[in-house]
Amino acid sequence: MPVRPSPRPALVTGLAAEPAIARTALRWRSLGFDPLIDHYRVHAVPGSQGRFEPGPGNLVAKTVYPQLVHHVDPRGETWTYRVLAVSDAGRTGRASEPLVASSSASVVATGRPVATIGEFDGRTLEHRFAPSGYAQIPAAYPDAVVEYVQGTDTPAAAWPYLLPGPGDAWAGRRAYTARWRFDLAEAPAGDHDLAVWLVDTTRLGGTLRVSVGGAALADVDLPPGGTRGSRDGDATVPGTALVRSYHELAVPAARLRQGANEIELVVADGGWVAWDAVGVFART
Amino acid sequence: MTSTSPALSRRHVLQLGGLGAATLALGISAPETAGAAPPPSGELFRLGVASGTPRPDSMVLWTRLAPEPLAPDGHGGMPTERFGVHWEVATDEAFGHVVRRGHALAQPELAHAVHPKVTGLRPATDYFYRFRAGGSTSAVGRFRTLPSARATPDRFTVGVVSCQAWYHGHFTAHRHLAAEQDLDLVVFAGDYVYEYGITAANLWRQGVAVDPEHAVEVQTLEQYRLRYALTKSDAHLQALHARVPAVAIWDDHEVQNDYVGGSSAYGLDDATFAHRVAVAYRAFYEHLPVDVEALPTGPDTDITTGFDVGRLARFSLLDTRQHRDPVPATEEDRLDPARTMLGARQERWVTRRLDESPATWNVVASGVVLTAVTDDRTDQWDGYPAARDRLLETMARSRNVVVLSGDIHHAVATELRADFADPASENVGVELICTSVASDGDGAPLDDYAPDWLQHDYVKLYDGRRGYLTVSLTPEQMTSTFVHVDWVEADDAAPREVLARFVTPAGRSRLVQA
Repeated sequence: MPVRPSPRPALVTGLAAEPAIARTALRWRSLGFDPLIDHYRVHAVPGSQGRFEPGPGNLVAKTVYPQLVHHVDPRGETWTYRVLAVSDAGRTGRASEPLVASSSASVVATGRPVATIGEFDGRTLEHRFAPSGYAQIPAAYPDAVVEYVQGTDTPAAAWPYLLPGPGDAWAGRRAYTARWRFDLAEAPAGDHDLAVWLVDTTRLGGTLRVSVGGAALADVDLPPGGTRGSRDGDATVPGTALVRSYHELAVPAARLRQGANEIELVVADGGWVAWDAVGVFART
Repeated sequence: MTSTSPALSRRHVLQLGGLGAATLALGISAPETAGAAPPPSGELFRLGVASGTPRPDSMVLWTRLAPEPLAPDGHGGMPTERFGVHWEVATDEAFGHVVRRGHALAQPELAHAVHPKVTGLRPATDYFYRFRAGGSTSAVGRFRTLPSARATPDRFTVGVVSCQAWYHGHFTAHRHLAAEQDLDLVVFAGDYVYEYGITAANLWRQGVAVDPEHAVEVQTLEQYRLRYALTKSDAHLQALHARVPAVAIWDDHEVQNDYVGGSSAYGLDDATFAHRVAVAYRAFYEHLPVDVEALPTGPDTDITTGFDVGRLARFSLLDTRQHRDPVPATEEDRLDPARTMLGARQERWVTRRLDESPATWNVVASGVVLTAVTDDRTDQWDGYPAARDRLLETMARSRNVVVLSGDIHHAVATELRADFADPASENVGVELICTSVASDGDGAPLDDYAPDWLQHDYVKLYDGRRGYLTVSLTPEQMTSTFVHVDWVEADDAAPREVLARFVTPAGRSRLVQA
């Protein structure tokens, strides 16, 4: 019987990128199961570099899936990517043609912070009960309302890391409300932006209803997430099961006023959200 | 889905799913001239040995060459070349009387695991086996072949274990089970490994440390291989495998928590998730002494199997993960008569096996609990009531059905009613649910879940500590013994304590406290 090693994985083709806030979503064609692909290696170098040589120094991730979300600086970055496959036998295929892709800038980086809760850092850790004390939330907030006053409260004391929703049996299947009050010294001269960064959501996804000053601003579709943010607080760990999402909404100047302002965030459908941070930013 | 499988079936010749026929066959049997390269020096058998797929005349042996089992690339410190592995089977521990010997190729495609199938053995006979490669000789394993089809053995005893979260505690249960005097087989009832990242938050097994590559959720083939290697590096698990043959079914954690059929519970589309299923199923095959039928074709495989212990017992091992319908979205969905846990083909298979069984005892292993507990336990058979009713109807026609399951990290014993809602309904079998080996750490006798179970008069035992179960079958009765250990986190020194023992007379599906 001839003994021949299994073939090297084929060349990865179809590499494409979708720019997004603080990240670039990469996809490529699956190489299927013959030979079985142990994983794909995504190599990247900053900027537009052409045909760089993949190596350990520019390996940004391994993934079994023919896709990857590369999290980058919120100011927006350009990277050059190449992807190759490794087979079950440990054999390495040829790297794809390079792809240059840029992420979108976030208001967190481009705007001037007016009011924020938490750090925009991919972690829930600064928030109350983080990273895994979710079971305490229903008792601490029996009315399903979280109140947070900017300048008085702190994330560690007054902003629980999860906001539960109707899909959460452990929290009484209620739509929790987070009510956030902050003062503006003067009426805003221009439009602002509201950044809602989430470290994770549940497999249920859902809707985050956002209102400003008592009037609806938007219903944010929550993507199905990793359902791990209730237990894990750091989405920056390589290979994390947490699924971050970024939501940035324009807040017209007319919706804000001098003095007291109020933003409400309600998980109207679906399961909890795990906060990274929220913030109102003036455009610069 | 076979009761006896050929060494290399037509299905696998035709659909090799990423492995050539030569690769697959040579991992089972190879000529002496194949794989001429000398293996690396050093101890190659650090993941131990195992036997499985028991038959009256054959057994599958297993080992994996891994001089550095925890090498981050998942290849166990082996070069990406092929190496010859010799095996021999003897009737004495000193190997003075070798009755079979052979050669297989350890290949990088299969993480240098080999699955030689030893045939031509005598029924109901004790054998010893070992491997050699390069200058290394493995530990000696032992097995007893099954009795012949027409025989009725006086006794057959199986150990049942599940849920081996390595990071949650020591495998003290395996230490005690391996030392049981009366033991013919061990059934791994699911969650042989866990996919979760191991961090300071969940590393409750004291006295150990792991490198950073273990901190992330397992997803790639190299990571699954590494997780199996970590789990199988445990000396007590190795001792158990060396002591008796093993059969294994899986639950969800061999792939991902709560996955259903081909679907992830965490937001990935099925076509994408299939890549992970494929590598997880491959790693399962690579690390267990299973038949070649369990080798996946991409994201599809067949681990369902069965065997007879003469006329004493018929075992049917179910796959309750791969073919099940999705989690019900509504109560109407849950109650849909068309819902399936097993898939139509497997359901027909087990129905036929129970209907046509000549055995006194009919043992069915399920990855999840069959007993009705609460309607919201949709990951268990509670999420598939119509499918459960069909199985219960089949059980009612059969004889002395015993369901073995795990998953819930509790020791539970129940009497299975034809209709759980009707207290006057007759018993159609019993279910023996083994607790976890380590998952959830030390545990406690009672916990918040207890009322859900103890509200039912058909639940005869409930305990939340770690341990195992033994089931001893004779023509007259079944004796089920639940063993627990008081702690697993601090060390592996906890003594063996019998939690409960039940006798079930043949012909009466009852649990009588002994």
